[in-house]
Amino acid sequence: MNEAVRAENLTKFYGKLCAVDHISFEVAKGEVFGFLGPNGAGKTTTLRMLTGVSIPSEGRAEIMGYDIQRQSVEAKELMGIVPDISNVYNELSAWDNLTFTGKLYSMSKVERESRAQALLELFDLSTRRDEKVETYSRGMKRRVCIAMALINRSSILFLDEPTSGLDVQSVISIRTKIRQLNEDGLTIFLTTHNMEEASQMCDRVAIINRGTIVAIDSPEKLKRTIESLQSIEVAFDKATPTMSGDLNGLPKVSEVVKQGDKYRLFTDDPSRILAEVWDYANSNGLTIITLNTLGPSLGDVFVKLTGIQPDERGIERRSGRGRGMGGGRR
Amino acid sequence: MRGRRFVREAKVAWAIGIKDIRIYYASPPSLMFGILFPFSMFLSFVIGRNMPIAHAIPILIAQTLFFASSSIGPITIPLERRMQTFDRFLSAPVSLWTVLLGKTVAGFIYGIGISAIPIAIGALFFGSQVTDPLALTAGMLLSAFAFAAMGIMFASLPGQGPGQILMPFNFVRIPLLFISGVFIPVTDLPYWGQIASMFSPLTHTIELVRAGLGGENFFGPVVNVSVLTIYFVVFVFVGIRFHIINQKRE
Repeated sequence: MNEAVRAENLTKFYGKLCAVDHISFEVAKGEVFGFLGPNGAGKTTTLRMLTGVSIPSEGRAEIMGYDIQRQSVEAKELMGIVPDISNVYNELSAWDNLTFTGKLYSMSKVERESRAQALLELFDLSTRRDEKVETYSRGMKRRVCIAMALINRSSILFLDEPTSGLDVQSVISIRTKIRQLNEDGLTIFLTTHNMEEASQMCDRVAIINRGTIVAIDSPEKLKRTIESLQSIEVAFDKATPTMSGDLNGLPKVSEVVKQGDKYRLFTDDPSRILAEVWDYANSNGLTIITLNTLGPSLGDVFVKLTGIQPDERGIERRSGRGRGMGGGRR
Repeated sequence: MRGRRFVREAKVAWAIGIKDIRIYYASPPSLMFGILFPFSMFLSFVIGRNMPIAHAIPILIAQTLFFASSSIGPITIPLERRMQTFDRFLSAPVSLWTVLLGKTVAGFIYGIGISAIPIAIGALFFGSQVTDPLALTAGMLLSAFAFAAMGIMFASLPGQGPGQILMPFNFVRIPLLFISGVFIPVTDLPYWGQIASMFSPLTHTIELVRAGLGGENFFGPVVNVSVLTIYFVVFVFVGIRFHIINQKRE
């Protein structure tokens, strides 16, 4: 048994609305698996069913071989959950939050206290361990929440939008910790609407839209399925009113998107476009300031597979590089 | 194996109960609905009436037991649903029984603690004497458990705040006062009222407390204990069923 998670025909109805529609997938042990989709796609509902918080309308799920409904205690002993909001007890200190969670997992006093201390140190919280969590920043609460999910030395960690709404420093810190945990052997199931995060963090990604999975593969393989969406990014020392139209008229350019002071030219033949852009600059007396070739991003894959533009339904764009995030510069 | 599992679950239930005590006992809704509400209702009822204090003390004890025990569940569960901390229990390796038992324990201790105040006041200032400790103890323990479980059952109503649960809950709690021998003794009720009062758990609380403090008992302690036990079991089972339905719906 090599699967940490197995979902079979998992389905959830809210009244007549089918929020998750007969989805099936597996997550291998030691993998970082991303569940990528816009708000309302069914990511959180799926996670809630996988963790036993919500009962599926149809289908079943196994965690480390244990059926989450029929062997729920065994399955839940092996998992840690970080929901989309930091569900910590604000009235308690970080220490009390952690030790109380240890009690829920029936850990002995010595074990839960030594584990709590180790986790507080790991997440840089030990200096404020006795202060009420209500005085903490959002990033600190998030770290407490992740620490609580790890108190039982779980084999799989479910994270629902772990970095959503956090400042850059907290995001980097949490991503680094997640990577470390994965390197130590922890399986990670991550839901996100941030394509950059999915691309950077995940070994495999499932793209979910309107309750159904539209693709599952590694981010790079998904990107390779749409090689036609290669592009070059160019910036000149000055702009002309006709520049966008001029660039669109170059041979082999399928689309031009203006992004700030840069233009992104989509093509299936970047090498030929480079020469054309060079000639265009010379003939118009322009100097090229920036010139990059870009592969298709996970965002491009998402748009291609779902037909949804990133900003339409809560898909997060981070670097401002146009249609898709996480694309590899070449 | 089964015994070890039981001990383990009991410890978790206790931990949940203690956590609730620490977080919610001094919260404004607990103070409002668990303490202020029964005491103010009692005072508005007795002031100006020529009621012997020996009659009034059992009413105050039963009322505080009723409101305090039954308020904790409808306060903690919706708040924890809103903060998603209730999900912690659902994703922890414990049964729903254990979680709700922990919540029941919190209500139970709150009810016993608050109702000890009128017992002490009666004993210290008005010469109340416990003539039947068994009846008083049975009445208080069973009632606190039954009312706490009643609160847990109502807390399964959809709602993200205590107000959304306590408002409809009060539509049940307050009318019970009228048929339970609080305002009008059961002996003075019409026949249909006496029948109705038998089905109110609060009637049996007042009867046992009254018996414990040397008062009269209309239905008899066996009926009182039996009815309260049945209600406790029914509230627990129905509460569990409702919470499972919620899990299916959410």
